[in-house]
Amino acid sequence: MAKFRETAMRYVFLLSAVLCIACVGVICVYLLGSGIPTMFEIGLDNFFGTTWKPGSGSYGIFPFIVGSIYVTAGAILIGVPIGVLCAVYLAWFCPQKLYKVLNPAVRLMAGIPSIIYGFFGLTVLVPMIQSMTGTSGKGLLTASLLLGIMILPTIIGTAEPALRAVPRPYYDGALALGATHERSVFSVVVPAASSGLMSGVILGIGRAIGETMAVIMIAGNQTRMPGGLFDGLRTMTSNIVMEMGYSTGLHRQALVATGVVLFVFILLINLLFSLAKKKEGTE
Amino acid sequence: MNVWKKMAAFAMAGIVSAGLFAGCGKTEGNQITVVSREEGSGTRGAFVELMGVQTEEGDKTTQNAEIANSTSLVQNTVSGNQNAIGYLSLGAYDSNLVKAVSIDGVAPTVENIKQGTYAVARPFLVCYREENLTDLGKDFMSFVLSEEGQKIVEEEGYIAAVDNAAAYTPSGLTGKLSLDGSTSVGPVMEVLAERYRALNPDVVIDIQQTGSGTGITAAIDGSCEIGLSSRNLKEEEIAKGLSYTAIAMDGIAVIVHKDNPADDLTQEQIRKIYTGEVTAWNELG
Repeated sequence: MAKFRETAMRYVFLLSAVLCIACVGVICVYLLGSGIPTMFEIGLDNFFGTTWKPGSGSYGIFPFIVGSIYVTAGAILIGVPIGVLCAVYLAWFCPQKLYKVLNPAVRLMAGIPSIIYGFFGLTVLVPMIQSMTGTSGKGLLTASLLLGIMILPTIIGTAEPALRAVPRPYYDGALALGATHERSVFSVVVPAASSGLMSGVILGIGRAIGETMAVIMIAGNQTRMPGGLFDGLRTMTSNIVMEMGYSTGLHRQALVATGVVLFVFILLINLLFSLAKKKEGTE
Repeated sequence: MNVWKKMAAFAMAGIVSAGLFAGCGKTEGNQITVVSREEGSGTRGAFVELMGVQTEEGDKTTQNAEIANSTSLVQNTVSGNQNAIGYLSLGAYDSNLVKAVSIDGVAPTVENIKQGTYAVARPFLVCYREENLTDLGKDFMSFVLSEEGQKIVEEEGYIAAVDNAAAYTPSGLTGKLSLDGSTSVGPVMEVLAERYRALNPDVVIDIQQTGSGTGITAAIDGSCEIGLSSRNLKEEEIAKGLSYTAIAMDGIAVIVHKDNPADDLTQEQIRKIYTGEVTAWNELG
């Protein structure tokens, strides 16, 4: 009887595992199967061109690819230094009492729905940038700022355990050689945890490039090529969400194809992530 | 260590250059921020057609226009930006947030739309295939077009499509009715459905708000019984066997920030703003 139960449970576990993989598989097949033929139907020239006017047959998503990359890069520029330094502080400098407040606060940040972040951006960041610059306030800088804030919990959540996982003797050894606390942390512990920190950054990139609801509200969503720091832009994700409700026919398929391009980006990011992890394992 | 120094340097550089840009931008305070709806929206479709932004070559809305994907986002954006201009359904216009301008001297009011003097108005349509229409569907439409139904339409801030409509007698029918379509028509349709259910309690009405285009397609392929549209049907859609009835008229209000001195714009000025020929408020003259 016990043996039967064991076998049965083993199959239950197997089924769960297979289900997960099947989901990913179905999404892949559906996306690629319906997206790639569309790309060829539209024509690669047209599809990766710079004009998006579904009404008159132009489906160029290049501005959105650039938009996604700009916004993500901006978010990394703002979020990574703050996130990593915050993780270093939490792991090595923070007094116990303060940690009890800071740690839940960071966790709470991760739980705030993105639409709330978007609303915060629209009501606080946009007017701020507007009064500083005299532009509309929506655009690359605003989106980068907000996404930079949004990826903090992702980065801190991965970086802090990585810093804590560095063996204590590294730090003790540095101290014994006469280095100060700060120097030991920054010259020995941080480099030792670098691949863990990299993982955090890569996860942050994934979060930033996939973010939708918050970006729609503050990026301006213009379909042209993004110009300067204060110009509005549209990302791939916002393009899909904005037009899905109204689109039909080839227009809708073009949005699915936009999803394929986004999917490829996410795959690349995950690949980078597992490479970083692998490196961590060998060290 | 070196990596972190570099990163810090990059971050600093970013902040400093942001500050420099900020300094430069100030002179452009007069630039119009054009706010539009997304391509395919019924409101946008009606607006560009009525304003002459749409030409034979297609929709000429400037590429510099900010795109907002809902009525409330348009209103919020304009209320927070002194130089912005946008458009939305008159039924959703909130005079506490923004200011609706007169067009060619005519204020966007229900009265003016009824008399036909305010030009920027469009019908709310229900569309269906005759052969798919059940008794329940017919009865629901007769309720919408009855005295009671048209009164609800006016209570919600739209303009009744039928004058002196006949009174409605509850039929006591049972069954399920599915509607699909415009997010502009949806809210008023929800209210209508609720009142209809109060009179005919055994009816289930399912309203999906997915957008005019989707609703029309669903009515054509029969996945819903009645489609809702906030724009006129295209030739090819009527050719596929759709019939339609107007249930209400809705004006499109052109809105600006409350502190904006402009109270009255001409249709030509609005067209120039939306096609990008005019980019600053003082160029309007």
